[in-house]
Amino acid sequence: MSTAVLSEAQVWDALKDVNDPEMPISLVDLGMIYGVSVQCAQVHIQLGLTATACPAVDFIFSDIRARLAREGVRDVRIELVWDPPWTKERISEEGRFLLCTWGVSV
Amino acid sequence: MAAHSDEALKARIQKGHLIETPEEMTESYKKALIQILLVQADTELMSAPSYYMAARTAPSMNTRLSAYAVIQDELGHAHITFRLLEDLGMDKEYLIFGRKPHEFKNPYGFDQPLETWVELVVANGLFDRAGIVLLSDPFQNTSYAPWKRALVKVDKEELFHLRHGEVWMKRLCEAGGKVKGEVQRAVDWMFPMGVEWFGMPDHLKRHTAQLEYKLKGKTNDQLRQDWLSAVVPLCQSCGIRVPAHHDPDKKEYVLDYQFPVDYDAEGKRWLFEKPITWDQVFDRWKRRGPCNETYVRMFQKHYQDFAKLMNRSYS
Repeated sequence: MSTAVLSEAQVWDALKDVNDPEMPISLVDLGMIYGVSVQCAQVHIQLGLTATACPAVDFIFSDIRARLAREGVRDVRIELVWDPPWTKERISEEGRFLLCTWGVSV
Repeated sequence: MAAHSDEALKARIQKGHLIETPEEMTESYKKALIQILLVQADTELMSAPSYYMAARTAPSMNTRLSAYAVIQDELGHAHITFRLLEDLGMDKEYLIFGRKPHEFKNPYGFDQPLETWVELVVANGLFDRAGIVLLSDPFQNTSYAPWKRALVKVDKEELFHLRHGEVWMKRLCEAGGKVKGEVQRAVDWMFPMGVEWFGMPDHLKRHTAQLEYKLKGKTNDQLRQDWLSAVVPLCQSCGIRVPAHHDPDKKEYVLDYQFPVDYDAEGKRWLFEKPITWDQVFDRWKRRGPCNETYVRMFQKHYQDFAKLMNRSYS
């Protein structure tokens, strides 16, 4: 497989497919993606966690890498961001709707 | 108002009526409800020490966090279920800290030692699937409304445990070699244990109160099929052999061995050449598995030691 160079918009699109391991909502809609940048073939993602002792961090990392690998991206650097901390305000409108239909109020 | 007759209660329940309070129950409904809730509560509770022993072998900090989160969830589920039992007049403290090890009603699978990370994730894949199958049924079908509501949170969290198991099983099997062999060995003893988890086949079992009162909606064999239809394809997709396959003519999963068979708990292996009767299975369950006392002691010891210090006792 050749190495692909994606635009930032393409990375955001791909991340829309990566769901939180505990809820049927994407990391993007949950507001966990703080930033995306692409330099040469390396994708750099800034990720915020919803809890400091997030039990699913191992899955989130591997799901992001697996999704981007499908686009031909091999070099992914994931940086954890703690400031500003994640709050419910970061959840998108669509995310709020999805969580409500799933039985979680925000 | 006179106590409701049992027949009238069953008729109302079959029409879809939900029970909210003990006042609406007959004694026999309440007895059947307590029985099924105790099995759930004890299963959740006893999964914790069993998972904990194996979680200590987690290969990294993040994997340890995931495993401990699963255990915390299970204890939360136990707490929810013991709270429901409290509403029915049971003493939660006694149930958890006062009973003898052999009085806990968890399945035989949670009397067994889980010794490695591989065994833990296979247990998450197979045993938590059994949990989901057994709890999705009352969530959809139960006539006891407080239980149905409580299961909303429980079932969502069980999905994470299952995912933990399935993702790890796939990862380990993709790695192949020695670690895949370990997955195969774990499945070899846990798969038939999962099959047995759902109890006696329908043709040997009389129609039970649990179904008549719609405490649950599916029979043992239906639940076992639900489990097989998830676990067999999972194992096959991992390249792991299981003694069961789908029969296109019968349109169901069938076992490749005579069920039930004897189990060598010390050697962690099933004696497929040694079929036994269900009475013998019940005897084995009653004798309990090798870790029953150790696991109960893990959460009772300090409670009881402290109770003695404070001059009160459950003995």
